[in-house]
Amino acid sequence: MSKNLSQLARRQGIENTLFQKLVITDAADKSTNLTQQRTALAKEFLMGEAVVHGAASFYDFLDDGTSHNNKQHNANKKAYVCNGSSCLCANTQGTIKEKLDKEFGSDNVGHVICLGRCAENSAFQISNHNFSGTDIDNLAILANEPSTASNEHYQVRCTLTEPILTAEILDVAKYYQLFITLSEQFNTPEKQHKLLDKLVESGLRGRGGAGFPTGIKWRSCLIEENTEKYIVCNADEGDAGAFSDRYLLEQRPHAVLFGMLMAGFLTGAKTGVLYIRAEYPAAIKQTEQAISEFEALNLTNDFCFKIIKGAGAYICGEETALLRSIEGQRPVVSVRPPFPTQSGLFGCPTVVNNVETFGSIHFIFSNLSDTQNSGVTKYKNLGNGKSTGSKLLSLDGAFKYSGLIEVAMGTPLVDVIKLAGGFARELKALHIGGPLGGVVPLSEIDKLTIDFESFAENGFLLGHASIIGIPNAMKMINYIAHLFEFTALESCGKCYPCQIGSVRGQEMFEQAISGEQALNHELLNDLLDTMQLGSLCALGGGVPLPIQNILQYFEAELMPYFIHSELVKGVQS
Amino acid sequence: MSQSLKVESKQAFLNGVAYEIKKGETILSFSRRLNEDQTIPTLCDDTRLEPYGSCRLCSVDVALTADGSRKVMASCHTPIGEGMHIFTHSPRIEKLRKNIIELVLSDLPEQTLVNSQNHPRTEFEQVVVDTGVGQVRFKQGRKSVASVPFTINKKGESKLCDESHPYMRMDLSLCIDCNRCVRACDEIQGEQVLSVAGRGFDARIIKGQDVSFNESDCVSCGACAQTCPTGAISDVFRQQLARVDVSQHIKKVRTICSYCGVGCNLEISVQNNKILSIEAPKDAAVNSGHTCLKGRYAWRFYDHDDRLDSPLVKIDGKLTKVSWDYAFDYIATRLTKIKTKHGSDAIAGISSARCTNEENYLLQKMMRVVIGTNNIDCCARVCHSPTAYGMQQSFGTGAATNSIDDLQQTEFILLIGANPTAAHPVTGAKIKQKVMKGTPLIVLDPVKTELARFANWHIQLRPGTNVAVLNMMAYFIIDAGLVDNNFVNTRTEEYQRYYQEIMLLNIDELADIAGVNKNQVKQAAIAYAKANKAMSFHGLGVTEHSQGSRAIMCIADLVMLTGNVGRQGVGMNPLRGQNNVQGAADMGCQPHQGAGYFPVDESEAISYYQEHYQITQKNTWPTKIGYKIPEMFNAALAGDLKALWVLGEDVVQTDPNQQHVVASLANLELLIVQEIFLSETAKMADVVLPGTSFLEKSGTFTNGERRVQKVNAVVTPKKGCKTDGEIIVDMMNALNYPQEQYSSGIELAEKVLAEISEVVPFFAGITWQNLGVDGLQWPVAKDGTDTQILHIDSFKRGLGKFHFFEFEESQEVLANSNKFPFILTTSRNLVHYNAGTMTRRTDNEEIVSEDVLLVNNQDAINKGITNRSKVKLFSARGEITLTAQISDKVKPGILFTTFHFPELMVNRVTGDITDKHTQCPEYKVVAVDIRKL
Repeated sequence: MSKNLSQLARRQGIENTLFQKLVITDAADKSTNLTQQRTALAKEFLMGEAVVHGAASFYDFLDDGTSHNNKQHNANKKAYVCNGSSCLCANTQGTIKEKLDKEFGSDNVGHVICLGRCAENSAFQISNHNFSGTDIDNLAILANEPSTASNEHYQVRCTLTEPILTAEILDVAKYYQLFITLSEQFNTPEKQHKLLDKLVESGLRGRGGAGFPTGIKWRSCLIEENTEKYIVCNADEGDAGAFSDRYLLEQRPHAVLFGMLMAGFLTGAKTGVLYIRAEYPAAIKQTEQAISEFEALNLTNDFCFKIIKGAGAYICGEETALLRSIEGQRPVVSVRPPFPTQSGLFGCPTVVNNVETFGSIHFIFSNLSDTQNSGVTKYKNLGNGKSTGSKLLSLDGAFKYSGLIEVAMGTPLVDVIKLAGGFARELKALHIGGPLGGVVPLSEIDKLTIDFESFAENGFLLGHASIIGIPNAMKMINYIAHLFEFTALESCGKCYPCQIGSVRGQEMFEQAISGEQALNHELLNDLLDTMQLGSLCALGGGVPLPIQNILQYFEAELMPYFIHSELVKGVQS
Repeated sequence: MSQSLKVESKQAFLNGVAYEIKKGETILSFSRRLNEDQTIPTLCDDTRLEPYGSCRLCSVDVALTADGSRKVMASCHTPIGEGMHIFTHSPRIEKLRKNIIELVLSDLPEQTLVNSQNHPRTEFEQVVVDTGVGQVRFKQGRKSVASVPFTINKKGESKLCDESHPYMRMDLSLCIDCNRCVRACDEIQGEQVLSVAGRGFDARIIKGQDVSFNESDCVSCGACAQTCPTGAISDVFRQQLARVDVSQHIKKVRTICSYCGVGCNLEISVQNNKILSIEAPKDAAVNSGHTCLKGRYAWRFYDHDDRLDSPLVKIDGKLTKVSWDYAFDYIATRLTKIKTKHGSDAIAGISSARCTNEENYLLQKMMRVVIGTNNIDCCARVCHSPTAYGMQQSFGTGAATNSIDDLQQTEFILLIGANPTAAHPVTGAKIKQKVMKGTPLIVLDPVKTELARFANWHIQLRPGTNVAVLNMMAYFIIDAGLVDNNFVNTRTEEYQRYYQEIMLLNIDELADIAGVNKNQVKQAAIAYAKANKAMSFHGLGVTEHSQGSRAIMCIADLVMLTGNVGRQGVGMNPLRGQNNVQGAADMGCQPHQGAGYFPVDESEAISYYQEHYQITQKNTWPTKIGYKIPEMFNAALAGDLKALWVLGEDVVQTDPNQQHVVASLANLELLIVQEIFLSETAKMADVVLPGTSFLEKSGTFTNGERRVQKVNAVVTPKKGCKTDGEIIVDMMNALNYPQEQYSSGIELAEKVLAEISEVVPFFAGITWQNLGVDGLQWPVAKDGTDTQILHIDSFKRGLGKFHFFEFEESQEVLANSNKFPFILTTSRNLVHYNAGTMTRRTDNEEIVSEDVLLVNNQDAINKGITNRSKVKLFSARGEITLTAQISDKVKPGILFTTFHFPELMVNRVTGDITDKHTQCPEYKVVAVDIRKL
């Protein structure tokens, strides 16, 4: 990251960010020359032209100036086919691509990972509208009228007696009344610390996957003396297979806004920024609408919301990359410390939390005066004591009742599968927690309960709790190649283990698949160790986990791909 | 001390041994400080840059107890913590490093590994050897260089390596994506010409919007090339590959740049008396491993074919090669004759701010002690003489009150009439870094300079109205009750009178005169006054005016009003234009003050000098104040001045009103010029003595923050030439003065410096030996203690003195603006230096090859001028032809040009109005008109 660029961005503020200008000008004005546009932006933002070009060229959906003569370029296509892991496992995308190519011409069809239509698969996008399931059958109509509603349908269920994340918000004004009450009641710094104590007591941990205690994060922002602070909602749900954040933004946006509002109140931040991925156009729309509703309530002059629309880059789900993205810098991962709560957006103290984390706040802060039955008490009583509250699980099309389930932390995985009506097809493993989560073979399923601890103890990762079924037909060698390919595509390119390692890994597996070169066990282990130990962030550091899981549990299937002598050594060790 | 009072220091363990930790240290800096034998390898680290954490090579094992579980952490961005156990070379760490290097090598040409093993030349190849990587096990795969587009070079060939630029080179097949170049461009130079395009494996370094170096906005500072660990970004000199190699006779010599008053240290690689390349040493206090394209790349002039290689004497109207003995005899005879016939004061000298302190000292000594006149001046006359004078009036010392390093502490910057990113690039870059990171900046300048773009308040006043705007600022500060009363009451005098005058000002009228928005001035003034620590910088845009000295005192007034002097992070800091212009004045190359600034006409000072120069006959010390440079020309024209000795200055090209200068020189009986090239002035000379460049001499330069630094000869003087100091010493001897003749350049430097430290009180503690690598800032006490900040407890003159001056319109404008309604103002650009004598004999000429005239669009329309059209520029003195460029950098009615191409004769149009107090010419305000050709 560049401190200079952060501070130059700060001069303009959140209402005039280089990144949004890039997104808007790229989408809108095709008449003026792109180079001239970007020269003007560089001048306006007092940044080098290379900064503007470098930032724009990072994203899938922004033109790097070469799209006119580069058919491979992914920006500004008429249609996009989803290449997410779930659609891959469902094996639906060959047909989709074929049909889109036929309709639009293959040069006009781009690719995307992923649209969050994992419950139905067969996902694609036309002119900023997402479709899935049987929508492809109406392609002729959709191509002409992309605003035609999708026939999407997925299950939303809850096993709790009192829903937390899936609870309906019937009266918006009443819903925000809790903020009024709390902000009047906890109106001094000492009292705010008391309220933060409650949040800590609830046991809420970050739902993005890392599981950091939310109360502690907010408090570390509160104690910073800076007068300018930010609340940022990480709505860049890029994990293929996950769509719970999309659901919350589309269906329960006020829960998210409420959480951010409280975070602002409890840390001294006056601005809440929602960074929503471009792949979720409906989420952006619904959130915009919710913000208007919030503003119409006239509750406070002390907090405002701003939506930043992403432009296609998985790494922007990493919090420091996300902050750099907003600032108009290249969204590469920054070193920590400083942590965002010390120096985040524009160099100011910033709380970055996941959508679902914010979505849990209203419940936790409800009925605080009722010690026996307060939200805090109810929340912490769910789960195993370390992982508390509820968790939204994204179940992909491999389940009979695909969709979302809200369960209490600690719920056995087998129960979840039962609730989902079992598998829709023959599976051999579940990929849980996104591309960086573990691959759980069927044999291990009964050992797991839905909480951070159980997964970690068994060598897996709960992550953001998306669940993709890997069908019997999927060759695990191909799935590993897919994981490396995904990492290579989405690596920000900063640290060597991930930048180069992901490509070499992809090549090793492609060579093994084609028969060109069998896998060298020692080299593969060295590569996975190097990525795991050496990477700067969880992308390069995390992808070895599912690969190691597969190597461990599907050894027999993979055996033919290894150099024989090496494999024997590997087996012995 | 009793046991209980002893403060427990915090400790951490490095490979099992406990050491004290320091606040703010990372594991890497902790380890580097303590363990020199087993260093942690790095690739993306450069100590001048923020920790980046991309190469991961610096990973170490960290545990919280000696036997506790270990975690791999990157040491460059992990703070060391109390009780940590760091293992820098555990087996798994060594393996990790090997594996990382193997990955990096897998994306580089195969030859890289072989090269590393045979003869590591680059930082990267050395790391390959150190980590012990012997092979790349991956089957040949994709190479990221495949995505790099080719660049057209100057010959029109399409090449992978970008060879489009006169200096810079980029070959991305060698790039390891450490981004040191990108970060150096941003964090050191502040230019952001470099960034990265794409992401992941295919991410690659770009210039601008993916253009060639030549098409980009690159300022050729070379910071990227210096930091690149592989040579992927380099320059035509391959600076980072030059290593000390005894077998190849390659050595490195450290010296001081001679281009501007910043005083950058340079590290010069030399092989067999030939310069290979120049780098900036990282440990230099002044420039910490940075310099600009002049310092780093514009050195080829030193052995240029145009160099003079023999003394010349005009025989039958033609400059003819003669021997040194002949030349000295000839001069001695003629000078003696003139002195006998017309007296000592018929002889004058102009010294050079480009030369060393020792040479300046010797020349003024020759003029005063041997010739017997105070007719000695230097080019400070035409640049910062008002600074020296004005600051002496206000504070008592005519030099920067603080150090450039104070920028780190300051919280506010006031920049007046200076364009440091062009004229003082390293200081300019430091200011830009501060401002980009949020330090507020006021720029007072008629031109929208690079820093003005970043300024919170750019007060774009009409040239020549500094006094008006500075008085407005004072008014607003007083009016808002923001005067630092405690400072004013205890440290200053004459405030009441000043206050009364200021409060009587008609602000609206002043705003109107200066063409500024009074509310903007008010906001700026109030912000300045409210800042805890504000530093002011100024340049020739303040001094080269008819009210130059007065404007200086107005700045001093603001500084005192707000108590911004005598502390860290504040002060009033002139940006000295030439490398040793501070030194030339310090050494006494001024007609009214001798070495050390004693007034030549006061009895106490006369005795002091007589004693020091062992003058026994009381009447031989010159007591009359001598001629200032413009007075020399007038006296020559009037026939009063007969002989002039010019050291390293091309007055024909650089002094204003050229016709007048030429006529004056032509009227002399004897003109002696010490030069390295046959300059326009040298062409008029009766005797030309071939001197040497800074690269061939030893001595000291004093930079703009009073820092006296060692200049070390890098190569021997060109055959046939003598160092300028040697020439003066020989001349003194030829005039029968027994100045010691030194056996070597070093001996001259050492002994003359010793003599200076006897005469100049603020050099008292300076010796050649104790200057060390970073020099000392004067005043230097006998014990060697130097001074970063002046006027801490009291001003040199006791109390700081307020001066009020009313704005006065320049005579130039009053007399000529009816006929010549435009105002021309001039300045330096980044690429060239003054008359271009040196820079234009390098490839800098390819980067900028002409002076252009900036014209506001509105004026261009009115005058029918288009971009690149030729225009005639004319004043009351003369006319010249220039190429126009339409620009929003100047307001309507204002024209701007640079002055590096003297053949364009900008000084044909400049006038001879000067500052009332110092006779510094008013270069910055010329009434002109333009016409499209």
